[in-house]
Amino acid sequence: MASSRERDVSSVCISDILSDVMAKVPRDAIWITNQAHENVIAIAFFKELTAVIFTNGAVPAMDAIDKANIKKIALYSCDLNAFDIAGRLYTLGLRGSY
Amino acid sequence: MRELSLHILDIVTNSIEAEASRVILWLEESVEKNLFSITVRDNGRGMSQEMIDAVIDPFVTTRTTRPVGMGLPLLRQAATSCGGELRIKSRIGKGTTLTASFLHNSLNRSPLGGIAETVVNLIIGAPDVHFLYGHRTDAGCFTFDSYWIYARMAELDCSQYMLVEPAQKWIMERLQSIASTA
Repeated sequence: MASSRERDVSSVCISDILSDVMAKVPRDAIWITNQAHENVIAIAFFKELTAVIFTNGAVPAMDAIDKANIKKIALYSCDLNAFDIAGRLYTLGLRGSY
Repeated sequence: MRELSLHILDIVTNSIEAEASRVILWLEESVEKNLFSITVRDNGRGMSQEMIDAVIDPFVTTRTTRPVGMGLPLLRQAATSCGGELRIKSRIGKGTTLTASFLHNSLNRSPLGGIAETVVNLIIGAPDVHFLYGHRTDAGCFTFDSYWIYARMAELDCSQYMLVEPAQKWIMERLQSIASTA
């Protein structure tokens, strides 16, 4: 949906509790969530996350995607559930941080 | 957030930071009306419409235009995901009234959580603020006034910290007596 320059990935987290991500996730992380609210993108921006992956085919509203484009946050929407997405990222060598 | 009490902590903290000397927290839970609502009214410095728009916009990030954090965008999301809404009315120099409503039976609604603890901690943390907490269910209502703590401090000649537990216990008993299930 929205793309950015090549960036490092520090870790991966799965959470639908936005305040937890706000409190705990380190910068440059990938965030896997089923919440497609614009607040997700705002938090991804605050926390300087590398990317957000929306599970189960969730897609944010167009104006939220526009905001992510402006803020250079990569967004992905995937039909898989969080477990399967995380499994694939794990086999690529990525790990969680909290 | 996991508990609505955390949202309440956040909103009331905003009121205190807005130099309110009086804060009223009113909770209403009604199965009959299928409503759960949180209202916080303060007599703080108030906000212009411009500032209200800024505090509910998650993308307004500069500290000068945004006196508070992500609290209100998250509260608005919590309310709308439960079929409710967030309303803010404010007048400069007069104060702010904020109401978050939720459908009582919404599966997305977080539990209220530790409201007794939240209320008592807010009172202890801001001794200059007169705090009134009211709670209504279909079975009845009660109010808790921060004066409850200060009157007992004088009466028992003890510090406010000695009254944290008794105050929480008092509130929890009242919650039980009105059959609060939030």
